[in-house]
Amino acid sequence: MAITFQPSAYSGLVDQENGMVSREIFVNSDIYAEEQERIFTRAWLFVGHESQVEKPGDFFVSSMGEESVILCRDREGEIHVFLNSCMHRGMKVCRYDEGNTPIFTCPYHGWSFATDGALVGVPFYKDAYHEELDKSQWSLIRVPRMINYKGGIWASWDPNAPDFLEYIGGFKTYLDILFDGWDGSEGGTELIGGIEKWMVPSNWKFPAENFIGDRYHNISHRSVDLVGIGPSGQGRRDNREREGAKSLDVSFPERGHGTVMFLRPEDAQPVESYQNDPVVAEYFYQCEIARKERQGQLWRILAGPGTIFPNMSFLPRQPRSIAVWHPRGPDQTEVWRWFLVDKTAPPEVKEFLRQYYIRYSGPAGLTEQDDMENWNYAHSASRGAMARRHHYNYQMGMGYAVTDFEDGGLKLDGTVLDTTKARAGEQNQRGFYSRWREFMAARDWDELATWRKGGSAC
Amino acid sequence: MADIVNLFEVEPGQTIRLYSEATAEVVSNPRDGVWLFVRYLSSPDDPDQVGQEDMVFAQDVIELVAE
Repeated sequence: MAITFQPSAYSGLVDQENGMVSREIFVNSDIYAEEQERIFTRAWLFVGHESQVEKPGDFFVSSMGEESVILCRDREGEIHVFLNSCMHRGMKVCRYDEGNTPIFTCPYHGWSFATDGALVGVPFYKDAYHEELDKSQWSLIRVPRMINYKGGIWASWDPNAPDFLEYIGGFKTYLDILFDGWDGSEGGTELIGGIEKWMVPSNWKFPAENFIGDRYHNISHRSVDLVGIGPSGQGRRDNREREGAKSLDVSFPERGHGTVMFLRPEDAQPVESYQNDPVVAEYFYQCEIARKERQGQLWRILAGPGTIFPNMSFLPRQPRSIAVWHPRGPDQTEVWRWFLVDKTAPPEVKEFLRQYYIRYSGPAGLTEQDDMENWNYAHSASRGAMARRHHYNYQMGMGYAVTDFEDGGLKLDGTVLDTTKARAGEQNQRGFYSRWREFMAARDWDELATWRKGGSAC
Repeated sequence: MADIVNLFEVEPGQTIRLYSEATAEVVSNPRDGVWLFVRYLSSPDDPDQVGQEDMVFAQDVIELVAE
């Protein structure tokens, strides 16, 4: 049966009421093409980190959806994000991953652009264009919306997108845990090492939904836990931190973001961790004390993996990192992972974390290998004619979440599912796909900013 | 006819002769193999250019002028 993907069709593909999602949205090339238009040109997307472009002329080539973009700092020190495409014939004007340059020169016909995007060099400008070409009209395409939030550079192609802080809403609490120092100091993080990049033969939504709150797949990582090479010397590093904690899934379905977390008891105290190295153990212990003093009740939050709709996921504690799931066709995702450490951490702590990150994450990391196996084979086993006739099941925990969660005087924004006893739920995934459906159906941000009207775009 | 000038090897301070018969001193080289930043030393077609800074395209560079 041919499917016509008119906006109204998406409510059938994501059946929110019954907790089911069609496999078509993962494997269908027409839907994938629509996603590029309806999601990746309208949402706020993570582009890079300011520390990647510290000096004038520094650049880092990133992606927004499928499209290559240049993050760079101009001669005046201002940060920009440009479409990496010459205005003459579309050739990439920058084919390096990163570097420093006074100009971006197109290798095709030689048009060149300054680091503020201005067209400054046109071959044969005098003789062939007779000096009549208006260079000011042919600058590189600049993103209309960009923000540097605590060092993270975000951008949107939609001039009518809401401000970034409105876009993330109450999820700011969890994003701040990622970018602030471990002691709670404002924006106290920096990048360490390079950016890990690798391809995964899977649709980009598999990892996005995995990170938004899939506690159910922990069985996949059992072998890592059994190996017991965590930095605390035995088993998982964070088991002691979680003693007596509630397990909560927090979703912001009107925005599509979500995370899982543990909420420590009111009377919890900092505990030692990273006992494999006394210097590292002491550093984090003192940071925990400082953060508890600085943040009060919020210190109780032990933030876990999360996803900011559509394709930025993160681990705010350890291994502290950002992942972007760049779509590269319905069946391919290019994964980029940035790693963060406290700016003021001693070198020994940074090196300890670097080793820990390498062991845990990326294509050679113990945990990420498990995940890729799942995404790869789930995707390939969902592409066939028979497989596509059947929906995925997202019914776990339906009807058990609350929107007025409070514990010991700490109120949490968002829709909260207590999974302490259940140990898993799928409300965050349902929120993610509900938002996906809204993006695919809505005409513009007037419809997408549903929180302003208290309703749904669908 | 002079050999093609390899722009990657041109250093600031060197003098080049251009297609327009102008001469210019290289101010900086972005090392993209396509452009040079120069200051005009002479310009028979447009004397007002002398002293001005400009970008010069590789195909406009005829040769290096010997010191």
